[in-house]
Amino acid sequence: MAIQDDIKSAIAEALPGLSCVIGWGAGPEALRAAPLFMRDAADVDKFTAGFLAVNNPALFLPSLKGAKVGLVVKGCDARSVGQLVAENLVSREAIHLIGYPCRGVIDMDKATAALEGRCEPGEVKGLREENEDIVLDAPGGEIRLAKKDVAADKCARCRYPNAESADVFVGEKAAPVVERDDYADLAAFENMALDARKAFWEKEMSRCIRCYACRNACPLCVCRDHCVASSREPHWLTQADGVRDKLFFQLIHATHLAGRCTGCGECERACPVGIPLLTLKRAFSRQVEGLFGYTAGIDRSTPPLLTFKLEEPAIKEREW
Amino acid sequence: MSVLKEKELRVIGFLCNWCSYGGADTAGVGRFAQPTDLRIVRVPCSGRINPLFVLKALLGGADGVLVSGCHPRDCHYAEGNFYARRRLEVLKGFLPVLGIDPRRFEYTWVSASEGQRWQHVVTTFTANIHALGPASFSPDAPELEILNAAAR
Amino acid sequence: MVMSTDTAKKFVSFESLPDFLARLAQESRVYAPRREGRAVVYRLWGPDDKAEFTARPTESCKQVIFPRSEALFYFSRGGEGENPDASSLILQEAPEPGPAVIFGALSCDARGFLAFDPVYDGCGTGGKAKDVYYLKRRELTTLVVRTCKTPLNTCFCTWVGGGPASSEGADALMTEIGNGWLFEAVSDKGAALLQSLPDASEEQRAEGAASREAAQGVFPQPADIKDAPVSLRALFDSAAFWEKQTAQCLYCGACTYLCPTCYCFNITDESNGIKGLRMRSWDNCMSPLFTLETSGHNPRPAKFNRLKNRVGHKFSYYPKIHSGRFSCCGCGRCIKSCPSSVDIRKIVLDAIKEAANV
Repeated sequence: MAIQDDIKSAIAEALPGLSCVIGWGAGPEALRAAPLFMRDAADVDKFTAGFLAVNNPALFLPSLKGAKVGLVVKGCDARSVGQLVAENLVSREAIHLIGYPCRGVIDMDKATAALEGRCEPGEVKGLREENEDIVLDAPGGEIRLAKKDVAADKCARCRYPNAESADVFVGEKAAPVVERDDYADLAAFENMALDARKAFWEKEMSRCIRCYACRNACPLCVCRDHCVASSREPHWLTQADGVRDKLFFQLIHATHLAGRCTGCGECERACPVGIPLLTLKRAFSRQVEGLFGYTAGIDRSTPPLLTFKLEEPAIKEREW
Repeated sequence: MSVLKEKELRVIGFLCNWCSYGGADTAGVGRFAQPTDLRIVRVPCSGRINPLFVLKALLGGADGVLVSGCHPRDCHYAEGNFYARRRLEVLKGFLPVLGIDPRRFEYTWVSASEGQRWQHVVTTFTANIHALGPASFSPDAPELEILNAAAR
Repeated sequence: MVMSTDTAKKFVSFESLPDFLARLAQESRVYAPRREGRAVVYRLWGPDDKAEFTARPTESCKQVIFPRSEALFYFSRGGEGENPDASSLILQEAPEPGPAVIFGALSCDARGFLAFDPVYDGCGTGGKAKDVYYLKRRELTTLVVRTCKTPLNTCFCTWVGGGPASSEGADALMTEIGNGWLFEAVSDKGAALLQSLPDASEEQRAEGAASREAAQGVFPQPADIKDAPVSLRALFDSAAFWEKQTAQCLYCGACTYLCPTCYCFNITDESNGIKGLRMRSWDNCMSPLFTLETSGHNPRPAKFNRLKNRVGHKFSYYPKIHSGRFSCCGCGRCIKSCPSSVDIRKIVLDAIKEAANV
């Protein structure tokens, strides 16, 4: 792919002034890439972009303070960087962003579903991209899947496919997939009765293993070793394997991301047991966009829950 | 004395120390009859109220949660309730995705002198919760349910 | 408990399997893999459930014997309500576990318990410090292992002494043949479980043997990792090596909690009013809290310290004191479910290579 070579050139050009550049390289199996930390020319050779460039490299920024770092970013990754900068959690001057037009990334859960009855994703030996399709080298022969059928949900509502804030942009900008996010997924979810929604979360959360990959994969979860959920004082959570504690952990995560979440979906992707966690974060994002017209990771104003107005035009307080 | 005939429900109130707790006190001193379902937790300011307080109560079996603070521009700490207003409004719109009826949570403003208003707020809110009936709550781990059963 | 007589071989068709499970469920809690969302998890089986015996389970089945959380005992103060009697303390034992069957576990899952056993059976204490909670459940649980036909990209059971049809740690094996399952008892417990089933025909036995042999042929050749224990110890102080290997790690607990051989736990008290319980729950060496000391000092402050410990424990420190057995069954779940694509195989191989160059 020509664009991949152009990105490599951009990385090689920037690398001398940086401690490392984070992108993607080959992963442990055909359908998965791995985050790649590039420190020299040999590392740059291993760089791959494309449909498997799933991981959000912004995740590593807060732990790499003190040295200028380069990131290769999709549009959604750049939003995470933007939000970290807006909250003064990282310094924009210490980051070199290399953007490229993203045309969507794979969702392993959808790939699993698409392959059901034929093979497990872990049995696929190879993958090649052909325009709008991916072709898999599977045990029973080649399997062709349309990218749009196995792309992440976030890609179907992508408003910002290009890292607008990039220092270097490689390639021609891609057109936004949609003009605005209508939160149709949430509306569909809310077609369920209240009791059914509650039952849905209890069932989904019952298989949570409390590994907290959702938290650790979140680029905006910057408390890291000092998470309030791991504290005994205050004692928000017990150590027990119960649905109530598991759900409450998600509420801790979601409330702390209200007005901050950029919808990159890494929480949901990281979940080893496939719990649809982004739904909770999107419920907060919809509220914040609706009430304050704020789009996290894009707007440069103070995040709405860190400020206020004397009169709130959008809030109709209850008249008792 | 309860003004409602039915079985008491568990309604949790988070009241700021300077206005609403005073307002509730004024209502008591004035001997205004009120329902007794409300258990009050006094906090320094409505700005102190972490939305997680409300969620923890609702997940743990509360049938309703009421937050009350000073009227906007009257906050003892000047701006605590302005932050609270944003947080609590965002929270209220979030509850339905969890399957929690948003009417189980309200926030409002009552000053220390508004004994009658407090009576009105608590009576209205408690009646609303009774209309909704008892909430179902999410199960705990089996080993904790043994303790919960003992406490219920 | 290896059987002395000829192992019993039985056959159950796909249609009559639920009846067999239902019979088992009358006597024991039966756990079987089930598809939930896109994950496959072990769940208490009920007659309305469809067990998943094709896709490999996302999680291991260790929680049946080593629950994610369990009560050790309950405690309460004497007295009543708001007047507790601080001078009295009433203790109550946790309820006894009952018999259980893990049905359709993988052979790597079964071998995982072999890493648990010596640790919980008082090794290093002359058998004195036995973990009665673990041992009781272990004794009461029967493991029916489903043999694998094909490997996943992340499978490496053959590197650590296992294989697609290893019977090590299993009580019975089940192998898919034609229109049903061939069952073979491995232990007395397994034989007792299979007793009521009809015997398999000669052809069915042969088909089972052929299927397992075919599987053996398609699983990866083992890599040579016999130097891993020495190499990993030699690299203990090579911070640069470990920082590079672990740069992408998120230090979440997915690898440890999905792992069939990770056995670490934490003990905490949870209380509600004047009653409470002391409980044990899974712990996770990727978390900074695992080693955080009361003083605030943390001997493993960075993620590279912690992942180094995880790899080192499995491939060096554990084999050193347990006659060379790796504390890894090669199921590959830590690789398959790692959100950041960390590959423990690569770390071990790189360490062997690096140590040879030092």
